[in-house]
Amino acid sequence: MSAPPLTLDLGASWGRRRGERNLLLACLGCVTIGFLLVLGSGHAAGRPLASADLLPLLVYGTSLIGLHFALVVLGHRGDQVLVAVVAFLAGLGLLAQTRMGTLDRADALIPGHLLLPLGLLVMLATTGAFMDGRHRLLSRGFWAWGTLSLALLALLLTTGQRFRGAVFGFGLITPSELLKVTVVLFVAGFVDRYARALGLWHPRFPLPPWAPLWQLTAFWIVLTALLLIQRDLGMVAILSVPLLALLVMGSGRIGYLVYGLLGALGLGFLVLGVFEHGGRRVAAWLDPFQDPTGDGWQILQGLSGMYAGGLWGEGFGRGSPGYTPIAESDFIYSVIGEELGFLGCLVVLLFYLILFQRGLQVAAHSRCAFGRLLAAGLTAVLATQTFLNVAGVTKLIPLTGVTLPLISQGGASLLATFAGLGLLLAVSDGAPASPARQRKGSPGGKAPSAFPLPAPKRRRAPRRPAAKGRN
Amino acid sequence: MSATTPLQLFGALVDSPAWAALRVVLHLGFFLTALLVLKGVLQLAYGVGAAARRKTRRPRLPALSGSLVLLALLFAAVLAHQASWQLTGLFRPQFVAFMQSHDRREFNPAHRIQRGRILDHQGEVLAFSQEQQGQVFRVYPYGPAFAHAVGYSHPRFGTTGAEAAANARLNGGAPEQIASWGELGRQLVTRDKRPRGQDLVLTLDARLQGIALRGLGERHGAAVLLRPRDGAVLALVSSPAFDPNQVGPALFQTPPADTPLLNRATQGFYPPGSVFKVVLAALALESGFTGTIDCPPGGFTTSRHYPPIRDHGFYSAREAGRGWSGHGRLDLEKAFTESSNVFFAQLGVRLGHDALFSIGERLLFDRQIRLYPGTNRSGSISTGRIPRLKHSDLYGLAQASIGQGRILATPAHMALIAAAVANGGVAMRPRLIADEPPEPLGQLMSTSTARSLTRMMRRVVTDGTGRAIDTPGLPIAGKTGTAENPRGPAHSWFIGFAPAEAPELAVAVLVEHGGYGSRSAAPIARDLLVAGVHQGAGP
Repeated sequence: MSAPPLTLDLGASWGRRRGERNLLLACLGCVTIGFLLVLGSGHAAGRPLASADLLPLLVYGTSLIGLHFALVVLGHRGDQVLVAVVAFLAGLGLLAQTRMGTLDRADALIPGHLLLPLGLLVMLATTGAFMDGRHRLLSRGFWAWGTLSLALLALLLTTGQRFRGAVFGFGLITPSELLKVTVVLFVAGFVDRYARALGLWHPRFPLPPWAPLWQLTAFWIVLTALLLIQRDLGMVAILSVPLLALLVMGSGRIGYLVYGLLGALGLGFLVLGVFEHGGRRVAAWLDPFQDPTGDGWQILQGLSGMYAGGLWGEGFGRGSPGYTPIAESDFIYSVIGEELGFLGCLVVLLFYLILFQRGLQVAAHSRCAFGRLLAAGLTAVLATQTFLNVAGVTKLIPLTGVTLPLISQGGASLLATFAGLGLLLAVSDGAPASPARQRKGSPGGKAPSAFPLPAPKRRRAPRRPAAKGRN
Repeated sequence: MSATTPLQLFGALVDSPAWAALRVVLHLGFFLTALLVLKGVLQLAYGVGAAARRKTRRPRLPALSGSLVLLALLFAAVLAHQASWQLTGLFRPQFVAFMQSHDRREFNPAHRIQRGRILDHQGEVLAFSQEQQGQVFRVYPYGPAFAHAVGYSHPRFGTTGAEAAANARLNGGAPEQIASWGELGRQLVTRDKRPRGQDLVLTLDARLQGIALRGLGERHGAAVLLRPRDGAVLALVSSPAFDPNQVGPALFQTPPADTPLLNRATQGFYPPGSVFKVVLAALALESGFTGTIDCPPGGFTTSRHYPPIRDHGFYSAREAGRGWSGHGRLDLEKAFTESSNVFFAQLGVRLGHDALFSIGERLLFDRQIRLYPGTNRSGSISTGRIPRLKHSDLYGLAQASIGQGRILATPAHMALIAAAVANGGVAMRPRLIADEPPEPLGQLMSTSTARSLTRMMRRVVTDGTGRAIDTPGLPIAGKTGTAENPRGPAHSWFIGFAPAEAPELAVAVLVEHGGYGSRSAAPIARDLLVAGVHQGAGP
């Protein structure tokens, strides 16, 4: 551990993170009010009040306090807004799950109410381990990440069980959620390593350089095939969007996007043609009224709930989301629409948008190419996942069976999301001022880069207690 | 234990009447604190200090901000699409129907929609919604009288007829009207659980509908009265009918033998008999036929293997024990007036298969004509059928030429043909919804043909088969029909219009197994025309 001079910094760190502290307190207030609503509505509907019902709120409060202190002690200099937004969305998720009654305290693997603290712990551990520029260590063995991803999938395929059309591991956990981190690590490492070569396209024809690309392509084909066997088309999309984004970003070649779109088109037709499952989903999307009590039932029930919610919503805890199948996981957005109304949905989407903006900001401010790619990739994963879920539930696109990050039920998804966010926070911490270790991401030369690196700036020896302790 | 924990206190508070208000306060409080967090986040991220920070830490990456803009646009698209369900779902009729039949959320406003009323053109209420014990019922004051034209709206059995065609408007309003957007906004903001739909005015006339129904009485049949000028349908009767106030499973599971669900006016196929001579006369006029044809007393057949086609005179003379000398040589007008089968059978054979088929095309046979906007087959008029016969089948052609054999017609289609004759050959699309603009359907025949047909149809009533309904006050033009059918006595037909020289209304009446057209159908048609013309033009 290359420990920074901790002793003098605790006070400064405490002052620096004041903004975060205030925001976390506001989050706690908001969630408390929501919690009272849920509790009261439940009681009004005839559920007895028990002191154990207060547990989720207690856990949430403790978690936020712990999170804040840990970040102060770590001397984290990164994005505080990110922390606050994550805390808000996770709080909303906790409320939603409390309301749906899915926080199973008797769960053998991880008791439901401990999921959030555990997730935050994962996030903190990741941040602590890789902050202060140590995230670059991750770029070294990128093939290990790639191999790990494929091995996970292969293992899942051989040992997993089918449930509701998808493949799950032991106890219905989905280890494939981890791919959202490992694949991004792999792609970011790969693109970082071959950035220069990837930018050298054929001088006359719009052809990408085959030499480094074939490895990535091969990896991708295997990955997609494994995922398609599990019928996890949503995951294919969630992982492919960052791949394209990172390729374009690292090489500065927009052409990858064109090839990627062509590939997506081909894949789409393949899936529709081969998988009856996909065709049915598209049919249910195009005209759910064709089979309203069968294939169209879930989406129409979700939309009915939202219609019943209207502009303001029925009130947290007062709706009847139970009529929508699997509302607590894929259709949690429609529950929010039902109970908090259109305005509630607007607020949630605004928070998500801020989250992604901050993620991209982290990428923009990162001083090393790998950090930039990593932050952008992780953000792209989250953004794609959010869009696929929300657009699916509102019937803008066909359903892909993807969860809403931080809010939907699903332990593995939550933990993977937190691990990714931990990495994002680690990257946002910035690199120490040792110019010798800084590399140029996409080296100047011929390849025009759309993302020029900031000129390597020498940081002043003591870290800036930036802007009046605000940050 | 009487010592109260805060939790017990909270429980007591929830049980008290204050909870209703407190709940709203908490709901608002939740939103406000969420907005507070949002404000704090924005301030920390993009506020004063942050701006300064950004300046010192420069990086501006156009592609990253580009993808953020793209993301924001995508989310905006999601919200817009979501709003089209969540906020303006009323404008999606299928969606509302789904919720009304499949959504068990009691607070869903779709269950409380006070559908707009359905009115006839004079403001008589044909359907309205009534709330009883938190449930909304549809009431049809006229019972079965408008069962087919107005249809029904039932939470379990869906909607039909005008109820289906104007579902969106009845449920809340068509999105193209500013007023309905205003009303929708009011409902959303106030969380009004009782959205009120808009009224729908039909072209129907309750009084004329009643006259047609009384005329039919217990007999099965159909009557259609429409205005040739603009296609407005003033009466659309199908008998027997069901009571839309009592739609239930029994109606669909074990349909009664007399098929009350069938809209005989628009979907009932009957042999047209002699009213089909209007079609053949139109064909003869269009193809320039001017000569005469001999009509021998023995009738006409195409082969000695087939029984001859004879005139009605033959049969009535035989019944009376008199001899029948035949009509002799007839021209088109005289043959039409006397409804001579022998003449028209020969005429059809002379003109040929192709000519018959082509006039069928021109007169819109074998089609669906939309009666309501935006509905499927059940909201359309099925027109008659002229099947293609083998060229060698001359006897079939002779039969077809007198409206027998394999020719079929629907009452609404025959009314449309009568209206086209009355309107100088131009057929207007029949319409039931009053504010739907009139729309021409096509020129079915030349103006001169229409004029000649008018003269001939007028003569039918003055000194032909329709003499019995000649009314002093109103010059009616028309054609009777008596259609042989295998199920019993002949069907009785009358199609026509009045006044002959400046037609205001056209009519088609069919009485199943009513015998001679002049006896059963014609009087009903006369009553309708007299009442309708004397009442005035209407809307």
